[in-house]
Amino acid sequence: MNHAQSVSGIHLGHAWPLIVVLSSLLNAVQPILDRPLFRNLPLLTSLFLVFSPLQAHSLPPENTSLEDAVRQLAGRVAAIPNLHGPLRLQFFQDANFAADTGKEWQESFRQELELHRLTLSDEPGAIPLRVGLAETPTQLVLSASARVADKDEVRLITLPRITFRAPNLPVAPIRIERQLVYQSSERILDASSLWNDAEAGMALLAYRNDEPSAVRLDDSGEVKQTISLAAAGVPPSRDPRGELTVRANDAVVLLPGKSCEFNWTAATDVKCHSTKPDWRGTTVLTPSCDAGGWKLLADGSDWTSPDSLRVEPDGSLREGSAALRSDFPGPILGINGEQNPASALVVTRNLRTGNYEVYKITLACGD
Amino acid sequence: MPKRAANPGVLTPEAARAFLWNILELVLCVALLALLAPAHLLAVKHPRYGGTLRIELHVPSISLDPREWKTGSIAAAENEQLAALVYDRLLTLDNYGRFQPALATEWSYDPTSKNWQFKLRPGVKFSDGSFLAPKDVAGALQPLLPDGLQISPTENGVQIHTTRPTSHLLEQLASGRFFVFRVQTDGTLIGTGPFLLAENSPAAPSEANPSASKLAHLKFRANEEAWAGRPFVDAVEVTLGQPALRQILNLQVGRAEIVDIPPDLVRKARQENLRIWSSPPDTLLALCFNETQPGTSDPRLREALDLSLDRDTMASVLLQRQALPAPALLPQWLSGYAFLFGTPMNLDRAKELRASLPANLAGVGEPLRLRVDAVGDLMKLLGERVAVNARQANIAIQLVPHSAPAAGSSTTTSPGPGLHLFAWHYDSFSPRAELQALARHLHTVSGSEAEAEAASDTDDPEKLYAEERRFLDERLVLPLVLLPEYVGIAPSVRNWTAGPSGEWHFADVWLESGEPAAPNTQPETGRSASTGVHP
Repeated sequence: MNHAQSVSGIHLGHAWPLIVVLSSLLNAVQPILDRPLFRNLPLLTSLFLVFSPLQAHSLPPENTSLEDAVRQLAGRVAAIPNLHGPLRLQFFQDANFAADTGKEWQESFRQELELHRLTLSDEPGAIPLRVGLAETPTQLVLSASARVADKDEVRLITLPRITFRAPNLPVAPIRIERQLVYQSSERILDASSLWNDAEAGMALLAYRNDEPSAVRLDDSGEVKQTISLAAAGVPPSRDPRGELTVRANDAVVLLPGKSCEFNWTAATDVKCHSTKPDWRGTTVLTPSCDAGGWKLLADGSDWTSPDSLRVEPDGSLREGSAALRSDFPGPILGINGEQNPASALVVTRNLRTGNYEVYKITLACGD
Repeated sequence: MPKRAANPGVLTPEAARAFLWNILELVLCVALLALLAPAHLLAVKHPRYGGTLRIELHVPSISLDPREWKTGSIAAAENEQLAALVYDRLLTLDNYGRFQPALATEWSYDPTSKNWQFKLRPGVKFSDGSFLAPKDVAGALQPLLPDGLQISPTENGVQIHTTRPTSHLLEQLASGRFFVFRVQTDGTLIGTGPFLLAENSPAAPSEANPSASKLAHLKFRANEEAWAGRPFVDAVEVTLGQPALRQILNLQVGRAEIVDIPPDLVRKARQENLRIWSSPPDTLLALCFNETQPGTSDPRLREALDLSLDRDTMASVLLQRQALPAPALLPQWLSGYAFLFGTPMNLDRAKELRASLPANLAGVGEPLRLRVDAVGDLMKLLGERVAVNARQANIAIQLVPHSAPAAGSSTTTSPGPGLHLFAWHYDSFSPRAELQALARHLHTVSGSEAEAEAASDTDDPEKLYAEERRFLDERLVLPLVLLPEYVGIAPSVRNWTAGPSGEWHFADVWLESGEPAAPNTQPETGRSASTGVHP
């Protein structure tokens, strides 16, 4: 099945044995522990799927990573009867898709064929082997075609599109240190550090099961606590707004027309009351070398375009000074300062993957 | 300077006036600064609610009843775009390959893929304020589902039972005509979507000028109770039957925000710096042989015609690079393997085959009659181009008007057309379902005795490829070109997004007021990474 990767682990009904339940409400949340580690997201995604106790049991056998699919395809090509080299590889890849995948898979395929002792050549007389990687609305399709004894031999491998993750964007400019710290397919409205010296981690204001929820994560990105804010009774909106402010154990959530307060240790006691929200103003960071402060501003005016974070000197007298800019892979949805006065958390939606991402921005001094 | 009175705390009338002037100046300055402050000073921008989105389409009429739509027809494509304003589906497919909950929040299936359960979202209301119930969903979808699929209500949702494994059911339900609606006692339909139909004025003679006609007009109002949230715009107004050049003019002068642009005018629109969006190629133009006509069953004739067709020139010259040569029945974006087929043109081989044909065959002795099944100048031009290509292989083709008798008709003595030029719109995310529907259509057009049920219901992509290969090798159908849908968009339109197959997301659009028109020479495409999202 090509849609089993959104398996949530929830079970309905029980009328049928071994029922597979699908829903995107609880799509897997992926912590980003360290940027270099996550450069190879497809591999990590496959490891995640393999070791996840919630998901592994219901994943069908064809649910593999791109690397696995390339390996499978090479094996199936090598098994084509009477296909003898030398083979001349001709790769085909959709232009839009190429930007996301790169061409590493082509080199992997080449190496896999060589492991199967198939000779490759660029000579015009070699048998052409056409190899393609394409994206359909739900699948990635890997294909290979060669003409053997006046017959087209075609081999196809498909895998669900959502098992594939685009590589991260390159590191931001040098004065702005940027780190992707969290990503999720769930809608994230805001992020806050815990403002607790004793505990690292982060809190999110997100939509889970179609209702606003506060989620506390530990420093490894694991969900430690989820508090439903359904008590606020906020009507559905295409432009959901919300702000989360955490100070150690106490948290305040601002939603349109409502303010909710709770304590992480007494999670069931969420108190909401009607209020005119006093939305957060411009976030100003003060790196250690500049007490004057720098404003964090978003440029974008459309949710279909990547946004830029502008870092400008604060104060009217300093307007016009050099500004820094950091490009994000989607619209910027929220900016929130951290306990460290030089850092902030920025929420964006990656337009390549559709995931919501939290970046940690730190203004570094000097070079 | 105001004079301070001798008695502290008491102002003279002049001083009080001056003081008030100072206050007024201060207030005005603050207000002016607030007005002039650049918008980017806000930390994060948010969309704007309000306004009316004006759409102009060239189709003369629209049906908002999914039960009336003919699968694969161009009209069904336009109907579907507007029906998405008022109806929802059980689920949707986003641009990242993920099924997203809509009216159904959870779904499940058994290991055989024959029994499916869908749990409905609680609290969803129709536009008349009544609640959506499982029986509404079952009642709406049953007449739309293919044969062999049975839907029935459950306590909190619906279940679908199929006689065969249907692993691609989600792809089907997330696309095409599978909208949920309720039939009112007066026969009208209501939905749960982001808008509701407020006015529906059919085309009529103009009162001011009886020789002219008043165009059909529909008005949709924002559904304040929409389960996914109220749309940003207050209303959507749709004018039907507007000529293409008039649409472009209206877009330029600000009388319309969204217009559809035929492929042959896209170049002109781009030259005028209009903002153009294009969908994935979602319409196939193809030839189909009518097997009931004598001579067309000879495979050599079909192969000769196939090899004579210059699809690249059709796409690049005739359609001014606004189309793609079609190597297969399914487009690359849907199947992922279409590039393997290729579009070989071999005029020498075509002539050889033609020379081997008996003299009494259609196309050899008498001209092969080609009927253009879809209306429009573009289709006629394409038909003429096919005739020119065929003539180069010494095959005679004669175009006959759309009103020529169809296959099997016995009401006239002249022979029916041996060849049809038809348009097919892809409306399913399931390549299997699409190939099956196309096979059924071709079976009807060609009068073929062969089994119409193609593309056996399997997850094996190689079997699907083999089915399509078999179709193409038979050459009863010859794909020509693939056309995207082109839309002109006003600069004030923000957050224009579309689904994977190009379905417009009007509910997520907002209008920016008072912005100067910024020329945009870069076309937006439905397959670009930056489209189709709504954070």
